[in-house]
Amino acid sequence: MADRVVRRVSLAAALWTVLAAPALIAQDLAEFEKNLTAFTLDNGLKFLVLERHEAPVVTCFTHVDVGAVDEVKGITGIAHIFEHMAFKGTTTIGTKDYEAEAKVLARMDEVFAALKAQRYRSNKADPNRVAELRQQFEELQQQAQKFLVHDEFEEELKREGGTNLNAGTSYDYTVYFVNLPSNKLELWMLMESERFRDPVLREFYMEKDVVMEERRLRTETQPVGRLLEDFLSVAYKAHPYGQPVIGYMSDLQAISRPQAQAFFREYYVPRNMTIALVGDVDPDRVKEPARRYFGRLADRPSPPPVVTVEPPQDGERCVTVEDPAQPFVLVGYHKPGINHPDDAVFDAITDIMGMGRTSRLYETLVKEKRIAVAASGFQGMPGVKYPGLFLFYAVPARSHTSEENLEAIYAQIERLKNEPVSREELEKARTRARAGLIRQLDSNEGLAEQLTFFEALTGDWRNLFKQLDRIDAVTAEDIQRVARTYFTTTNRTVGTIKTAATEKEP
Amino acid sequence: MRTRASSMAAVSLLSVLAVCSAGAATKQAAPDYRQLKYPELKKIEIPEVTRVTLSNGMRLLLLEDHELPLIHLSARIRTGSIYEPAEKVGLADITGEVMRTGGTPTMTGDEMDEALEAMAASVETGIGTDYGWASLSVLKEDIDKTLGILADVLMHPAFPPQKIELAKIQHRSAIARRNDEPDEIASREFAKLIYGAASVYARHTEYATIAAVTRDDLVAFHQRFYGPNLMMAAIWGDFETQAMVQRIEKAFEGWTKVEQSVPPPPKVEYNYIRTVNVVPRSDLNQSNILLGHIGGLRSDPDYFALVVMNQILGGGFTGRLFKNVRSRQGLAYSVFGAYGTEYAYPGTFNLGCQTKSESTVQAIQAIVEEVEKIRRDEVADEELALAKESFLNSFVFNFDTEGEIVGRLLTYEYYGYPADFLFETRAQVEKVTKADVLRVAKEHLHPDKVQILVVGNPDEFDQPLSTLGEVKTIDITIP
Repeated sequence: MADRVVRRVSLAAALWTVLAAPALIAQDLAEFEKNLTAFTLDNGLKFLVLERHEAPVVTCFTHVDVGAVDEVKGITGIAHIFEHMAFKGTTTIGTKDYEAEAKVLARMDEVFAALKAQRYRSNKADPNRVAELRQQFEELQQQAQKFLVHDEFEEELKREGGTNLNAGTSYDYTVYFVNLPSNKLELWMLMESERFRDPVLREFYMEKDVVMEERRLRTETQPVGRLLEDFLSVAYKAHPYGQPVIGYMSDLQAISRPQAQAFFREYYVPRNMTIALVGDVDPDRVKEPARRYFGRLADRPSPPPVVTVEPPQDGERCVTVEDPAQPFVLVGYHKPGINHPDDAVFDAITDIMGMGRTSRLYETLVKEKRIAVAASGFQGMPGVKYPGLFLFYAVPARSHTSEENLEAIYAQIERLKNEPVSREELEKARTRARAGLIRQLDSNEGLAEQLTFFEALTGDWRNLFKQLDRIDAVTAEDIQRVARTYFTTTNRTVGTIKTAATEKEP
Repeated sequence: MRTRASSMAAVSLLSVLAVCSAGAATKQAAPDYRQLKYPELKKIEIPEVTRVTLSNGMRLLLLEDHELPLIHLSARIRTGSIYEPAEKVGLADITGEVMRTGGTPTMTGDEMDEALEAMAASVETGIGTDYGWASLSVLKEDIDKTLGILADVLMHPAFPPQKIELAKIQHRSAIARRNDEPDEIASREFAKLIYGAASVYARHTEYATIAAVTRDDLVAFHQRFYGPNLMMAAIWGDFETQAMVQRIEKAFEGWTKVEQSVPPPPKVEYNYIRTVNVVPRSDLNQSNILLGHIGGLRSDPDYFALVVMNQILGGGFTGRLFKNVRSRQGLAYSVFGAYGTEYAYPGTFNLGCQTKSESTVQAIQAIVEEVEKIRRDEVADEELALAKESFLNSFVFNFDTEGEIVGRLLTYEYYGYPADFLFETRAQVEKVTKADVLRVAKEHLHPDKVQILVVGNPDEFDQPLSTLGEVKTIDITIP
């Protein structure tokens, strides 16, 4: 436990001291820390409590260190499905009679398993048996509905003034959040701890239909969505970053409730969770209820890490999506994860190549050559926990081709390798990193998200601030070295949308 | 499963005993939120906003906020794309954009980009449907330089031909791409169904209208609408009010008033009719559905009851549409519906979802059924209570940032709404009854006369769309 003495210093003042300084020094960080209380429960669950008393509101943010990267083929999409299920209640929330409901749910699992057994028997499925099982499943689904107290979990938080109640799943992590009037903090403690202590995955099979619609919405009917899915599957042949977060349609159909429960038991352990409370909170008053509610979560071992390592790439890989849509260009290079010393160099490259109207890609592709309407480059995809990609993209202007844009992107990459960036460009990257951080941190949500992100992924929330020092230390030589090391042809994956039919033009 | 669950509970109990010294409980029952007692919420302190009208007629709303050394400005100018000629659709947008990207006679747009980005500051301008806007965000010490750029851009835009051409390239590319995403097709075509394809509230750019826009048009559009008496601005951040007023007065010195008055936004004539429309796309496996009719104005006395009705019908995770179409039937990931209101012209009553091709007609029927239900029967007591309580309990979030507070006042000022409109809304929402909700639903919603639009693959629909009425096919070929 790392409790700290709390002194009421304005967070804003502390923040400013940290950020305005030309280089971060230990005392500034210490100033910021006075507003932040960190403590860990005996079961390993970590809390970061940041006081910000400007308005009587609080952001409650739970970061769980599990994501699509923890999935294997056959259950792709399961991390995201569980995220949906975490709003369905517990043995006491969302049900009129759990004992009776549980029997129907268990029976549904059995029938689903029987259906699955039929379905994957290739040519030996018995159509009569399938019809019979389907009938049974429908009936059970209707029976189960009778026990529901509809959406009790969401309704109670909303009734008490909760806003922006939602959750999200990425490759690296899953987050759950809500903003509440600060006098309702205990309600969140109760609801949040219960849903991770005692979740009931009710309406599971119906919710899978919702997720399949989400897949159609975000991927299958979106040309760029389909390109990205194919692109990642080509860039990664072994590591799970190559599988879609939303999951493959056939996996979504096949995933069962017991599989989702097993996934939950393995990964939703208190040691794997970091919670941030940011806003009008008194850390001394938070600890007792935090222990009382979240101390009920059973201490279980940390989940296994991903052991698969993406083998080095031997040559350029290309992928094309043919579609009536207009062209689109993606270029990716494998690069190390967030805890590698070169991470800050990639941040500087992101700024110089891809941020704003004065970035190199915007200036050349959009302003000068006029071959694109948007062009940029950034790191962070598909994830940062394991080696990810540095991605460049361009949206070709009308009647300009992907090839022209690729060529122009490559020319800028070569320039990065062959000549040092200017002092002004480096200076601008540093200034904007600082100002960007300050603007981002001007909200409870932004702070909560960033603090948990850095704590969970780098082991220390302080890295949120220390990253500025690291960007300050980046030199022109670093950028040249990194560009030469990683931005090579053999390490490259290229994805394009090829326009299938051309439209009439005047 | 069951044995596993009970052993988990036992472990959990042990860990509770380990951390709580007062661990005398023999069996831990799940805590019940109904037993919780909440402390009184701290009183919301609403800061005082200073209102000033400069001698040149510009109106200012100022709010000091010394939390961070930042200054922000958000302005409204009385103009909009509703005032551009039909054969030059795109003129307002290009004017608003090139005002900033083209810079002024004394500083090019590219020089502005360099100067602003080096300070990590921003100055942006644009023109929307019934307003022009400008914004500024800067570290306190750079305010003079940035404010100078903003004023220069608004007063003396140079409109250089090469930046006009760049804006036109962006527009032409957007036209070429406008059929790439089904949701974009749906919202564009739905607006045309409701307001009429030629309406200023629905029309859109074509290659021909972009080609027709000239530099002279930009100059004339700017002259016609940009003057201090047609502008109002909200400024908040780390400054001293009196000094800021003087700074702004000085920055905009010599700007002459616009004499010609700006007419109000045109009225909308609407005939309630039922239509069924399809944009056929054989490459899609999911239908984008939008249906509805014209909506209303926020100044309508029924607005407050409609706010409550909207909450019950389509409010987020807890509205009827989400519950019944998404959670209970699994028909969609995103489903929505609200009687839309705007400040100065009627919004649209629009509902919709995206669903797999094979459940298209089923989803349309499920949505229409929800509209019929809400105008047939009174809502339940619990539904009314949830809608009102969540509105009132979350009221504090209207005041959690300075920018929100002063930005809202700017919007009210621009559209001529009372400054206390939000508080009026709260007072009126508190009074809304079940009978009110039923009355406004009956009066404003007409489920038998909705216009239905589907972007999808008719070959795979569960039933032909013609079961809903005579089907009109919309051709979206780009002319």
